[in-house]
Amino acid sequence: MTRPTARDALRTRLGDSRGPRYWRALEEIIEQPAWRSRLHEAFPQLARLEPALDRRDFLKLIGASLALAGLGACSRPPQEQIVPWVRRPDQLPPALPRFYASTLACAGDVAGVLVETHQGRPTKIEGNPAHPMSLGATTPAMQAAVLELWDPDRSQGPVHDGVAASWDAFRAEAGRLAARFARDGHGLHVLGGRLDSPTLAAQRDAWLARFPGAQWHAYEAIDDDNALAGARLAFGTPLRTRHRVDRARVILALEADFLGSQPGSLRHARDFIAGRDPASEEFNRLYVVEASPTLTGARADHRWALDSAHIGMVALELGDLLGLPGVHAPQASGMSARRLRALARDLADQRGTSLVLAGRTQPPWVHALAHLLNEALGNVGHTVDYYEPAEPWVSSADGLRELTRAMAAGTVDTLLLLDGNPLYATPVDAQFARLLARVPHRIHLGLYRDETALACQWHLPRSHALEGWSDLRAADGTASPVQPVIAPLYDSRSTHELLAMFLGDTQSPRERVQATWHADDDAWRASLQSGVIPHSAPPAQHPRVDDAFLGHIPTPADQPGLELLFAPDPTVWDGRYANNGWLQELPKPLTALTWSNVALVSPELALAHDLKNGDALEMRIDGRHTQAPVWVMPGQAARSVTVWLGYGRRHAGRVGGQLGFDAYALRTAAAPWRVDGLRVNRTDAHYALATTQRHHAMEGRAPVRATTLDAFRTDPAIAQGHAQDPPSLYPDRLHGDYAWGMSVDLNACIGCGACTIACQAENNIPVVGAAEVERGREMHWIRVDRYYEGDVRAPRIHHQPVPCMHCEHAPCEVVCPVGATVHDAEGLNVQVYNRCVGTRFCSNNCPYKVRRFNFLQYSDLHTETLKAQRNPDVTVRNRGVMEKCTYCIQRIETAHIAADKAGRRIADGEVLTACQAVCPTQAIVFGDQQDPATAVSRQKASPRHYTLLEELNTRPRTTYLASIRNPHPALEDDA
Amino acid sequence: MNTPLLAPRETFATLTDRVSDITLERPTGRLWLLAFALSFVLTAWLGAGIVWLLAKGVGIWGLDMPVAWAFAIADYVWWIAIGMAGTFISGGLYLARQGWRNALNRYAEAMTVFAVSVSGIFPILHLGRPWFFYWLAPYPDRMGLWPQWRSSLFWDFSAIVAYLIVSVLYFYVGLIPDLATLRDRARTRGKQVFYGLLAIGWRGEARHWQRFETLNLLLAAMAVPLVFSVHSMVALDFSEGLLPGWHSTIFPPFFVAGALFSGFGMVLVLGIPLRHFFGLGDFITERHLDNLAKLMLAAGLFVDYSYASEMFNAFYSGDRYEIAHAMQQLTGAYAWVYWTIIGCNAVSIQALWFPRVRRSHAALFAIALLVLIGMWFERFLLIVSSLYHDFLPSSWGMFYPTFWDIAFLAGSIGLFFLLFLLFVRLLPLLPMFELRKLRARLEREGA
Repeated sequence: MTRPTARDALRTRLGDSRGPRYWRALEEIIEQPAWRSRLHEAFPQLARLEPALDRRDFLKLIGASLALAGLGACSRPPQEQIVPWVRRPDQLPPALPRFYASTLACAGDVAGVLVETHQGRPTKIEGNPAHPMSLGATTPAMQAAVLELWDPDRSQGPVHDGVAASWDAFRAEAGRLAARFARDGHGLHVLGGRLDSPTLAAQRDAWLARFPGAQWHAYEAIDDDNALAGARLAFGTPLRTRHRVDRARVILALEADFLGSQPGSLRHARDFIAGRDPASEEFNRLYVVEASPTLTGARADHRWALDSAHIGMVALELGDLLGLPGVHAPQASGMSARRLRALARDLADQRGTSLVLAGRTQPPWVHALAHLLNEALGNVGHTVDYYEPAEPWVSSADGLRELTRAMAAGTVDTLLLLDGNPLYATPVDAQFARLLARVPHRIHLGLYRDETALACQWHLPRSHALEGWSDLRAADGTASPVQPVIAPLYDSRSTHELLAMFLGDTQSPRERVQATWHADDDAWRASLQSGVIPHSAPPAQHPRVDDAFLGHIPTPADQPGLELLFAPDPTVWDGRYANNGWLQELPKPLTALTWSNVALVSPELALAHDLKNGDALEMRIDGRHTQAPVWVMPGQAARSVTVWLGYGRRHAGRVGGQLGFDAYALRTAAAPWRVDGLRVNRTDAHYALATTQRHHAMEGRAPVRATTLDAFRTDPAIAQGHAQDPPSLYPDRLHGDYAWGMSVDLNACIGCGACTIACQAENNIPVVGAAEVERGREMHWIRVDRYYEGDVRAPRIHHQPVPCMHCEHAPCEVVCPVGATVHDAEGLNVQVYNRCVGTRFCSNNCPYKVRRFNFLQYSDLHTETLKAQRNPDVTVRNRGVMEKCTYCIQRIETAHIAADKAGRRIADGEVLTACQAVCPTQAIVFGDQQDPATAVSRQKASPRHYTLLEELNTRPRTTYLASIRNPHPALEDDA
Repeated sequence: MNTPLLAPRETFATLTDRVSDITLERPTGRLWLLAFALSFVLTAWLGAGIVWLLAKGVGIWGLDMPVAWAFAIADYVWWIAIGMAGTFISGGLYLARQGWRNALNRYAEAMTVFAVSVSGIFPILHLGRPWFFYWLAPYPDRMGLWPQWRSSLFWDFSAIVAYLIVSVLYFYVGLIPDLATLRDRARTRGKQVFYGLLAIGWRGEARHWQRFETLNLLLAAMAVPLVFSVHSMVALDFSEGLLPGWHSTIFPPFFVAGALFSGFGMVLVLGIPLRHFFGLGDFITERHLDNLAKLMLAAGLFVDYSYASEMFNAFYSGDRYEIAHAMQQLTGAYAWVYWTIIGCNAVSIQALWFPRVRRSHAALFAIALLVLIGMWFERFLLIVSSLYHDFLPSSWGMFYPTFWDIAFLAGSIGLFFLLFLLFVRLLPLLPMFELRKLRARLEREGA
């Protein structure tokens, strides 16, 4: 690799998006002697000017470079050859978007993606249908990765001791360190995150071999230690589990959020819903026992709230009922015998097609017990199998403990922090900040100059996942390549490149990854195209469970106090996405909260302490304390209080700083998920919480129609309303070539919110901020409504995605005085932004309230990188105009153009709306509803089909399919 | 009541002297200056609000989803309604040949013009892009674009413009003979030129009078139907919506009644202090006040009937959403507004049945003020109560006004009074020529 010239380096350094920063950066540069000498190399004229060099002259001199810096930052093609994922066999004209297969690791999950690029700019992430853990879907965090790439607050150049430095300077430093530790690596420590990249694992091995005595620690605030430790208990080795949810008829989740926050959720959700087709004979049944409602609990046929400490007891009692030798509960779980008997019978009846899962918050022995139950139920090899990943498991808790111990002992000389923010995201008792200050040499690699970066001498900007080569292994063991879709925007390096710098490895980043897989060029090209490395998933194993662990099951403390539970934030995870406006503003499932975390309390606790939503709660536990806003959560176990990690960031950037409270202040390394003895106190303070839905009861209006499987089978039309449209004064619409329509299957929707954020990415929807959301001015075009039904302690939870209904008799169109909202021949209710004067009458008259108004200038028209993120096919709206869901009209038009050119009709499934494409359970179907053969027509022919607010006779094109529950017949009164 | 409509001691000469002296001779009072300063400050607040609104957008108000209309539209409906009574008094009673209108019609018409002007600010500024307000007008443009004729907002826009033009004309035409009187009596050059220009050459010839009477009659005949059409159109802005509480075909008559109700309230609120401070008891007599009070009571009873029928119809309809809306009004988050309205618009006016109350100026003034407050809240409730809880519970929300919502309401009141105070100083408060005609008629009939 050639050494970049000073001019190049300067140019990248100046590739800063913010005007005011130019000046500061320049001044900093001029002040530095090292830079001054570099400048002489680049600009010999400077030598003459030197005596009189002032900022003005300097700027004049390099004005041209400044101009170039802006260009250079924008859309250089990547230097390495990357291979587009070919959507159509023909060569695409340059104006059309290109898709590249890659892989993203977001929020603890890995899935293959297709990155849409326009003229070299990544603008949108889609799931990779060829990847087994995506099947075309992505999680919300993956959708937001593209905003993270273009985040103007990303770190843009190396910083040494608080001043701008260069990679050359760091390379020299790395060389010195490598030489120093080459013979004896003691004192050289690396702290990395989850090791899910085979190439990184290989580099780690090389590192440990190259620097004998060096230590490599891994820490993740949200880890799966319990699952792996549980597997080790059961099998002797930390095997990973593969669940085949589609084969399961009866599923028991012990606080396992397998549809939401657990790895592999996209595939699990698809498989789970595949097993719930009311038209088929087979219909699975899901039991969830959990303390705090999750997406999985919301979809359960039976969701039983129980404090986290006693969930293991339920598993033991169940094992007892199933007649497992040596299994009996040392303490009663509190679950009624009637429920347990019904559940045990149900599981036993479905030998080989049942499934027991345990969640990451449950202790290892519960996981081991789940393996034992699966074995006893004959599920191994059918609904569950195991595999040994090629990369070793490094326990997160051990990693942190060993590192902090070494730091306390003063044996850490040099600490390399690979892309983590341990200063913020470690338990308070690890005292990471204090210990870190004692380490003589601290080097941080990261996307942002975060809390940890500020405490290190060296901060090095990391390339974004869309900017560099790598590989990742998904939850089922499938490995897939990560390929850059854009050259690094800033002067950054990937983790692999940084390690290579120490190791003296001169391979190019692509060669390094390719070498890991020993792939020849053709095979490599093929895997880049498909986005999956074939045969990379380790073979299934069916080990026997060693039940010796049953002898060491701890009895839960028998105290009536409160338990404190920790959970990752549903959107910003462990805090790493704090500066991502899309994720901040994505309403968190079940609470519809944005921009803050809360302490979830049960209705009983709220009653006892007179708590309302937003009240400040003083929480104390073993001398640790913090204050948090309360959220009264229907369905929360009575004595469990749940806090979300990920907020209270101090240096997150312009978006994510100073939001919510820091729950790590209550967490300890020894008890990362659950701790007893919480004391709470109501204070008089109050937090303003920004929520997008304030009312969660259906008020007898049944916007969501749901029934039980038995009732549906007896009377399939049970969810239907009027058979015929009521008469109307308005003429029926003229029929165009197509009649676009959408069907949303509420039986498939799990409420994850991916549709909302995919729509935001696709349609250039602005972020408005907490204060505006609090006013009720969020701009999402598709929202997911939540309704609670029944007992507040054990409610049934319903989700309903609501985009524009595209009513055939649209009430919005009649009232617009300037004709800014009109119907097109294909049935779209289109909004003409240019014509809109902003009377807002259309929104008032919309019974579904799906219209969104630009009350202020919400779109950021000034930040350069954010402009680059935008979809060029969609207008950026300014203040004063109304907007709403368009059924992704730009995608329809793209299909129109392609079909017209080929002289054919648009095929069914050729147009996927953004919400439809991202949906993990394929709940949303879109197409031409006047053709009876299309998927959407078939959906609309379902007996479960109904129209929202049909009595208003608006004749929506978006319609719903009723949700079906499958409660145990013996427990129907006890959901 | 047998009080004569014009005090017997007022002759042709004295009444002309007294009314024209208010404008020409009376020094600017300290109270007037104080009121003017206060109005000016409020108007400046409005001006600051307008600048800020144009700079930032309507988001400076507390509007949200679902409540996308609130104060601005309430202010608009309130002001335009106040205007109605002026036209009704000067035009309607003129056509009905009610002699007692003569002392009231000038300031009532001024009130109309100012109220309609003030109200016109709101529909324009409440647009997301107010600079494109003219897109609501039907004008031929290159793109061949026309307004969307089915929208009541277009017809509302047309009705306001028509009404503003006619009421300004009617006001001005009625002023001309009196302006000529002032021109003839003015003693400074400036005033002579000022009133001379405004009087457009009125010389009091028989031919002038004949044309004047014809035009006046025609304008009155045009203005009176407009009273009904404008407010019916405003009502249709809501009726056209399908929201529970809006979707009602009987809104137009109810809106007209409500408009007259608040208009009579404003005529009293302006008339009682005018009469007091300018010593106009000979002209605006007890009988005038009594008549106004009775009219206000009559309009109020009609409005109360509309409240009752709204409630009845909501429950009688059996419609889930209408019933829920009615229950929200009675017990929901804005129930306090509903009961304030009932207190102001239904309960307080019952006192007007008693002659003693009608003779008490303080009581009349207080009740009229309550009616004005009640009618503002009525419009606010009408808009917000239907929007904040509509069909899908998931989209329910609240409305919280901001500093700027208050600024626009207070500022519009300031602007109205600023204009009215200027009118009091610069133009004849009472129609001198009509009072002289009344004198003549009374003498003919009585003597």
